[in-house]
Amino acid sequence: MKNIIPEGFAERLLSDRLRSAEDALAQQIGTGIELQGRRKDDSEFPIEIMLSPLESAEGILVTAAIRDISTRKKAEAALLRNVQDLNRSNEELEQFANIASHDLQEPLRMVASYTQLLAKRYKGRLDADADEFIAYAVDGSNRMQGLIQDLLAYSRAGTNGREHRKTSTESVLKVALINLRATIEESGALVTHDPLPAIMTDDTQLAQVFQNLVGNAIKYRRAAIPHVHVSASKSADKEWIFSVRDNGLGIDPQYFEKIFVIFQRLHGRDEFKGTGIGLAICKKMLERLGGRIWVESTPGKGSTFFFALPEIEEKS
Amino acid sequence: MKTIGTDDAPIEVLLVEDSAGDVRLTREAFKDAKVHINLRVASDGAEAMAYLKCEREYANAPRPDLILLDLNLPKKDGREVLAEIKASPTLGTIPVVILTTSESETDILRSYRLHANCYIAKPVDLEGFLKVVKSIDNFWLSVVKLPPESH
Repeated sequence: MKNIIPEGFAERLLSDRLRSAEDALAQQIGTGIELQGRRKDDSEFPIEIMLSPLESAEGILVTAAIRDISTRKKAEAALLRNVQDLNRSNEELEQFANIASHDLQEPLRMVASYTQLLAKRYKGRLDADADEFIAYAVDGSNRMQGLIQDLLAYSRAGTNGREHRKTSTESVLKVALINLRATIEESGALVTHDPLPAIMTDDTQLAQVFQNLVGNAIKYRRAAIPHVHVSASKSADKEWIFSVRDNGLGIDPQYFEKIFVIFQRLHGRDEFKGTGIGLAICKKMLERLGGRIWVESTPGKGSTFFFALPEIEEKS
Repeated sequence: MKTIGTDDAPIEVLLVEDSAGDVRLTREAFKDAKVHINLRVASDGAEAMAYLKCEREYANAPRPDLILLDLNLPKKDGREVLAEIKASPTLGTIPVVILTTSESETDILRSYRLHANCYIAKPVDLEGFLKVVKSIDNFWLSVVKLPPESH
């Protein structure tokens, strides 16, 4: 042992870690001890020592496996660097979206206000062409404002998350339905649900997710009275799976991924209003909560949106 | 005694705003006001303080009955202007309405801590903006009893 471990360390290792077989077994079995090793040419490299017990006629023996872990250490360092780079670029992207949308908003507000003022004051007083041009300018600036506000909402989604608390998801759904009251009444939609569990989560974000999913279920309806059903079940791998099922238009399987991307839409603006932000916000929020979202659907029959949230132990 | 808001004693409103577009919009919106308003404009914080302290060309400037204050201003920030106004024994009684694009909770909280009389986030659409100015007219210039000029 003294041969491969740098001087000083060898003594400490022998005295600290391997005082006795019992101590060693109690403390170190299964978990490796990481140390610097030394080659004959005096260069050092990382090693790991693994101890395992071996019962023999003479009592318990301990075998020590010493492994060169240079490659693993390098991979670990590279991984850490990549994670740090990724976090930094994510933060930068979020800042960029926030600043861009905020600063763009100001000049745009001027364009929108003054084209609206033009329309208000001069409609019918210029000529038909002028009215049409102004109408396009008003429409364009309104849409741009919608996009910027949604971009801002998206970049903020999940950023001021609150601590997870034991939450009745049934009450959260009720909050979402209250926010959707006008939509529900206007469409005559029937929204039902199974008993829903109490889980550890962030109620504000979950309410937004329910609101977007139920809102979509009603928005993309067929002629029939929309029926939306929410239920939940626990999966084998300790996840809560929620589902929001509708009898609406349904979605072609080729678009199952695309619909979760920001500003991606499957319908023209004349058919359905909106910028294509709702599902992107759901996806972002659920991912922040450690979950995921997906869809199953038959065009012409309806869609079911599923989302999974990890079961989190309540802190005692 | 003259009644304010009439032709011989119009209500003095100081608008502290750096965007000419916003100044014009505010003027347009006040056109239908119920009372007679003199809208004066300071385009940055330093100019606003000069006006309020009757410095330089503002030696004979009338004291405003109401101040509409933007927060993000060149030179002297709206937050500094607010703090100075509210710390002054003579200017402190003038109601200050914060009228800004910022919706940040920090700005809202900070403004009220500095004794802003109310905080309004500018709506992004024209109708919303006109409505806001109309409610300022209704509430601050009609419903509310403004403080008498302190001597």
